Amino acid sequence: MNKEIKLSVNDLKVSFRTDAGKVQAVRNISFDLYKGETLAIVGESGSGKSVTSKAIMGISAVNAIYESGEILYDGQDLVRIPEEEMHKLRGDKIAMIFQDPLSSLNPIMRIGRQITEAMLLKNKANRKEGRVTFNKTLAELSEMMKRALADTPDANVSISDVERYIKTFDDFNIQAIKLENSYNAARTAAEEMIAVIEDLLFLTEKKQKVDVVSTLGLIGRRLKEIDDKFFASKYVDTLKTHKSALDGVKRAERKKVTIVDSAKKFVGAGASKNEASPETVQVLEALKKTAKEMLEQPQYNFFRIGYYVYKHPETDLSRMPADEANEIAGKFLNEDFMDSFIALEKIAVQYSFDKTIQNKKAAIVALENAINFFRAGTFSAQEADVTCKNVNKSVLSAIDPLAIVKDNVAYTFGGALQREVEKYFFYVKNNPKEEARFARQTAQREALLAKGKKVDWKIVPKSVIEPEVQIETIVSVLSRVMNKFKADVETAETFNVDKRCVEIIDYLKEKASQVVYTLTKRIAKEKAIKLMEEVGIPEARMRYRQYPFEFSGGMRQRIVIAIALSANPDILICDEPTTALDVTIQAQILELINRLKREHNLSIIFITHDLGVVANMADRIAVMYAGKIVEYGTAEEVFYNPQHPYTWALLSSMPDLDTDERLDAIPGTPPNMIYPPVGDAFAERNKYAMEIDFEMQPPMYEVSPTHFAATWLLHPNAPKVEIPKIITERIRRMKERGGNHGE
Amino acid sequence: MENNYEVLLKVDHLCQYFRLGRKDLKAVDDVSFEIKKGESFGLVGESGCGKTTTGRSIIKLYNITSGNVYFKGQRIGAGTRSYKDAIAAARADAAEKIKLLRAEKNADDARKAAIREEIQKINKELGAVVDKNRALIKDAKSDSKEVDKQYVKSLIQALEAEYAEKFRAAEGNAEKLKALKKEFNNRCRVAKKSRLITQIQMIFQDPIASLDPRMTVRDIIAEGLVINGITDKDYINEKVYEILEMVGLVREHADRYPHEFSGGQRQRIGIARAVIMQPEMIIADEPISALDVSIQAQVINLLNDLRERLGLTIMFIAHDLSVVKYFSDRIGVMYFGKIVELADSDELFNNPLHPYTKSLLSAIPLPDPVYEKQRTRIPYNPIAEHDYSVDTPSFREITPGHFVYCNDIEEKKYRQLVK
Repeated sequence: MNKEIKLSVNDLKVSFRTDAGKVQAVRNISFDLYKGETLAIVGESGSGKSVTSKAIMGISAVNAIYESGEILYDGQDLVRIPEEEMHKLRGDKIAMIFQDPLSSLNPIMRIGRQITEAMLLKNKANRKEGRVTFNKTLAELSEMMKRALADTPDANVSISDVERYIKTFDDFNIQAIKLENSYNAARTAAEEMIAVIEDLLFLTEKKQKVDVVSTLGLIGRRLKEIDDKFFASKYVDTLKTHKSALDGVKRAERKKVTIVDSAKKFVGAGASKNEASPETVQVLEALKKTAKEMLEQPQYNFFRIGYYVYKHPETDLSRMPADEANEIAGKFLNEDFMDSFIALEKIAVQYSFDKTIQNKKAAIVALENAINFFRAGTFSAQEADVTCKNVNKSVLSAIDPLAIVKDNVAYTFGGALQREVEKYFFYVKNNPKEEARFARQTAQREALLAKGKKVDWKIVPKSVIEPEVQIETIVSVLSRVMNKFKADVETAETFNVDKRCVEIIDYLKEKASQVVYTLTKRIAKEKAIKLMEEVGIPEARMRYRQYPFEFSGGMRQRIVIAIALSANPDILICDEPTTALDVTIQAQILELINRLKREHNLSIIFITHDLGVVANMADRIAVMYAGKIVEYGTAEEVFYNPQHPYTWALLSSMPDLDTDERLDAIPGTPPNMIYPPVGDAFAERNKYAMEIDFEMQPPMYEVSPTHFAATWLLHPNAPKVEIPKIITERIRRMKERGGNHGE
Repeated sequence: MENNYEVLLKVDHLCQYFRLGRKDLKAVDDVSFEIKKGESFGLVGESGCGKTTTGRSIIKLYNITSGNVYFKGQRIGAGTRSYKDAIAAARADAAEKIKLLRAEKNADDARKAAIREEIQKINKELGAVVDKNRALIKDAKSDSKEVDKQYVKSLIQALEAEYAEKFRAAEGNAEKLKALKKEFNNRCRVAKKSRLITQIQMIFQDPIASLDPRMTVRDIIAEGLVINGITDKDYINEKVYEILEMVGLVREHADRYPHEFSGGQRQRIGIARAVIMQPEMIIADEPISALDVSIQAQVINLLNDLRERLGLTIMFIAHDLSVVKYFSDRIGVMYFGKIVELADSDELFNNPLHPYTKSLLSAIPLPDPVYEKQRTRIPYNPIAEHDYSVDTPSFREITPGHFVYCNDIEEKKYRQLVK
């Protein structure tokens, strides 16, 4: 399968330090998650499936120890990145849905605020970040241009020219930002106006009494905001007529209310409420139509127009149709500025790229040296520190400052290496301080026992890691970035300067509009309502202001999904999202998750114990037992050709609609993971267990290129074992029902 | 006795309303069904549809609003709301009529006399209705009180009959007679405390919440016996061990506390507590929902074994349809406080008639990826499906044993579907 790997977990081992000893929750598991697929992790409670997902999210309990392994996402090892880096990923790139929706919602906060909270905060941070990145990238570009010019004396541009170019670029972008800002504000006002009108029309249709006068006032104010803006310049006359019509109906409605009010002696609350008259409805419908038209008009290219306006401040492009204006401004921009700017940029980009390739070659040598240094195994803390610093320096110098897609492997390398080396000196077996403590306390305990006292506490050694294992981890950190660099050097010839130039300009444009994109509370509300509708909440406009307790379980879970999606994540981890729901709601939520997965191209890790749910959702399945993956394959392979006795047991312990024979219950309970069994963890409950199962852990046998199972039954010397009848019968029935199935 | 033992439990127009501000929340609304002796009756529906409330109303954890519950032919629970409503309706009706009659102003003397007579007649009729319903209310109230007295009476009668012979046999032997008398008195004392309702026992969903954490397993299981007045420690212990072994635990477990057990074992304790009362019927309220996959099968198998061994009748409440199908002989589907369809489990799954049942069946996930990826869920929208504005629906038998909640038009449609 040639799919893009989104997330890759390698040899992950997580334990928990408890009073009774170290609980080995996850023991050396590895899996990959491809883009746009659903990976289901199935197992009983305590099998380590939730621990795995929490490790990916970086929200493990405080007493968790990551003993070995790595979780790679976007070149970063999530186990080893610091909390600040994790913070950027969590929710933004990797989102999670928990089992109990009520416990993940704030009970005293309205639903609407909970959905918009993250959006608003993120928008604020984005604006700031956009401004900083824009300035930084532009500064780097100018720096590179200057350096490139210094190296190529025969160029016909001088340093002062560069400064002028950069200044112009910066200035006209500010102009463009201003224009776009006012355009966006007007657009927002139009959107809000439509929302208010729709609210009013909805209520009128339902024959509800509303405060028509003040609503009309609100609409009028929005109309004023749109007026005389760039956005509405083509509609000025239409809007004027709308305005007078609106004023007319407003007067009529006010009159109606005053008559009603004076008729009543006592004007109580709600007395000024009224049903909107047909004339009002007519006017509003017309206004809504115009506003919708305005929203649908073609977009202006503010980058181009910004330059035009910058050069000709007195001209007015607003009366021109968008296409025409774009074309004129674009032509002017290219002739006057862009062509020469790009020529200059090209030199800088090529220069910077060549330089980094050289640096990369140097860094590869440095990395190789460092690997040899650590592999040798005899080094003091000081030596290691110096090596780390040197390597990090050469790696950082090998990062192309003009690359748009940031090289995360190299960026996070320094910190990761530093932490691993520190860990080596702090945790490894020959930590004399720790060993002394352990010996001292054990001696104390022995002494007490020797006196015949009853001692009900144990001495737990601090997490110890074998030096060899830790050195291997350090080497893997080093070699990861080395391999990346080697690959970069190899593909250096295919580098496309023009493409990179365009990328940089686009990036700057994007950042500029990111600065302008202000999300007001009202637009956030509209967005949230849209999102609520998308996840299937009826009458979202009404429910926006409700509290979590006013929603049923299924609706609550939908809201949690909406919150998770509000940041547009890459990876969604669903930790038993339907266990607390009943069948019909469960089916709805699963359909919803499947639909959203298709629409947003999400990668999903779906954790559950219900095999029926898994069949619906999963592309691939990993069956976990006692912290290990015991079977791993595509959904068809696991369901139609299960290999591990535990998978058999799971499949045969649940009745389906055609089952009438006695169920094959799994005897006993899962093992205590403080003292994990020496051999196969499932051996004790396994009726097919052989002697070797109690002595040695089985390796992963390959059944097909995508299907693996860890059971001695697949060993060539193992006796042939029949799959339980209940499963073979079921597979036969499934094949009859579905027709042509996979093996 | 005229009791018909074929039908063990009969629920007749059961309503259970809860006060919710000024309005009533109709948790269970006019539900009727029968459970035969020895069968397993499944009740399914989404959460909040009233299936748990039905179970709890039957064992009188709530005072039912109206309707009757008969167990072994005796009325164990009765509500009075329907009678009160009848009285109120009759009163309102009479008042309306009288008002109309009195409104005739310019009537001559003869007419006036006629009106007076008419009013008297109406009042008399009203009085009859009120008296009748009041009697019914009194009946209902006394029935739910008296049922235990009668049950005790019958138990003591049986005991007397049993011991009369023994006494006669032991006549002359003073020592033996004394021992027998003591035994008889003891059993009489126990019988006096026993209540019919203990014949129905309940297993709860959450094995953690339903067991007292401060009591040992022995105390938990024996509590029912102790409440029933049994004081013989040895007898109780013997009984507890027997039951523990029956549910797949060992004697040593008796002195432990619930927190020392795993979820499946705790549910076994819950089952043991129910079974020790030697009930005829068990209401299992989602007994496996809170358990792990591999443990669920153990508990289902245990319940099946007990059912065979003790001849239990089980009312099985769950939302997992595949489990209910596996476990039950007959299934009732509930939707918003009403049973919308009731049939044999095979019949229900093969020929679902009510649209809600169809929707529910289409939502069951099966461990079959290819089938699952083709499965389409049928949504259920009660407003679009039914038009009950003219013709009110009721619970009707379409084919023998297959009941559907429908009106005339729908009944015709279903009958044609069945053909």
